[in-house]
Amino acid sequence: MSTRTYELVYVVSPETSDEQVTALHDQVQSIVGRYNGTIEKTENWGRRKLAYEIGHHKEGTYVLEVILGTGELMKELDRRLKVLDEVIRHLVVRVDEEQRVVERHRNERQATMRRRRVARGLPPDIQEGETPRSSTDDRDDDRFGEMGGV
Amino acid sequence: MQKKSGGGGRGKGAARGADKAQGQRRGLFRRRKVCKFCADKIDDINYKDVKLLQPFVPERAKVLPRRISGTCAMHQRKLRTAIMRARVLALLPYTAE
Repeated sequence: MSTRTYELVYVVSPETSDEQVTALHDQVQSIVGRYNGTIEKTENWGRRKLAYEIGHHKEGTYVLEVILGTGELMKELDRRLKVLDEVIRHLVVRVDEEQRVVERHRNERQATMRRRRVARGLPPDIQEGETPRSSTDDRDDDRFGEMGGV
Repeated sequence: MQKKSGGGGRGKGAARGADKAQGQRRGLFRRRKVCKFCADKIDDINYKDVKLLQPFVPERAKVLPRRISGTCAMHQRKLRTAIMRARVLALLPYTAE
């Protein structure tokens, strides 16, 4: 079974106490543990105003969990969270592929920047106190073609 | 670099077309729109980043169309999924009440 990275965000109704939120987190953790997954990161965003009312609630406590695990695990978590009354909304998103793409883009961009800087006879990394050039006066940057009439 | 004529309705070609039509518009100057995400080099359009998404869901809470924001096709697509996810979690509204 392949392990993937998922993000789980759940919104807890504003009536629940902090202890209950922690209890909920423990519950999630135990399910994750049962399916041999791991929780990579937990973030409590605290109480936020909802953009629209959900079941007459105007506020909610947001909790984010980054989970490493299988699809089966997330299916089970999803099922459990649907049943729980204090969780008014939840969302599971698979993020590993997206992250890989973002990372590749970032690396590519840096490599291009370094190559261009070397071609211009500069050290590959930006030195301290150097003013960044605007992309329009970068002659090696062929994305813009010519700047007509500006 | 050789000039690329035509090619994509929203890039340079479109801006040049607008220059030609300027006479008819009686000097109404239009700034060339640039995709915010390309210009600022934002790779990750994340549903958790409400501050980033908010300008793209004005008043009526509809997604701001590409023809107004100037966002490129790829980023508009990513933006849309991010907004849809944010809406599920009530981070962004579906409609204005």
